[in-house]
Amino acid sequence: MLAYLFARRAAGKYPSPLTSPVFLSTVIVIAVLLFLNIPYKKYEPASEIMTYFLGPATVALAVPLYRQRKIISAYAVPALFGLIAGIVSTIISAVFIAYLLNLSDLILVSLTIKSITIPVASEVARIIGADSILVAAFVMITGMLGAMIGPFLMNTMKIDDPFSRGLAIGTIAHGIGTAEAAREGELQGAVSGAAMGMAAIITSLFLPIILPVFL
Amino acid sequence: MKADKIIKYLLQITGLILINKAGFYIVELFELRIPGNVLGMILLFVLLWTRVVRLEWFEGAADFLVRHLSFFFVPISVGLMTLGGLIAENGIQLAVILVLSAIIGMVFAGGTSHMLVKRKEGKETGNSAHDL
Repeated sequence: MLAYLFARRAAGKYPSPLTSPVFLSTVIVIAVLLFLNIPYKKYEPASEIMTYFLGPATVALAVPLYRQRKIISAYAVPALFGLIAGIVSTIISAVFIAYLLNLSDLILVSLTIKSITIPVASEVARIIGADSILVAAFVMITGMLGAMIGPFLMNTMKIDDPFSRGLAIGTIAHGIGTAEAAREGELQGAVSGAAMGMAAIITSLFLPIILPVFL
Repeated sequence: MKADKIIKYLLQITGLILINKAGFYIVELFELRIPGNVLGMILLFVLLWTRVVRLEWFEGAADFLVRHLSFFFVPISVGLMTLGGLIAENGIQLAVILVLSAIIGMVFAGGTSHMLVKRKEGKETGNSAHDL
């Protein structure tokens, strides 16, 4: 079991510039498991070891946040309102469309945390009773979408200041978007990383309180 | 030289694990409905801000973890294979929702921030102190 873990780790790291390494390594593991006819249950212990590091990885987000404290406080007003506008609009639009399409409550709840970074999302999922696997899928797809569409969208909207570009992409597309934003420029990447951390904090502080009102 | 670095990283990761544990402990103690790891993140931020701890104490390991954050998706998203049925049933609807809400979220976040940044910079013309 552990052998696959390392094989996949290597596979995930090297082709990184091509496609999203996450996507690729996920496909590889699923393929290997299916090919060798290993049920998911047997893979679970291996995934638990990695899940253990989710906590420290989240705590580590404080470091980029701290490094960017000057930019954040200089642009506190745009940052705060931008973050809130992004978080609220994406959650409401997702849940509203899902509601119109008559999707199950479990899907609705799981959609609310699709824009926060995975270690936090999986913790919040536990608190609000969302499906952790569904959440992971939504988070990953949202991140890839944001990274792909984000820069193009910002160009069409003529959003040219690097601060807002980074903020928009980081708020919605968390880590995967941040990698993309960093390719655009140092400031975009930094702001995106900070926005990812702030979005995670804001969402996880308020969602568990607000959600029960609607369900 | 190399062993030094490994020990430093291990100590840094241990530090992060301890702060994470502290976050979960506080959440449990006060029965808060927030994730312990997020509280841990806030805790570390406050400790850095108040200079109780120094950035160098965590820097290396923290950067490593943040850079490979997406790596943590893998074990969870492998669970996707158990969701085959749902994807077959609602896949297109879910795709539409995810695309639309991502666009809406980015438009609102970027638009709001852009508007406010421009207004702020309009006000501060002649004040070049905040050039980034």
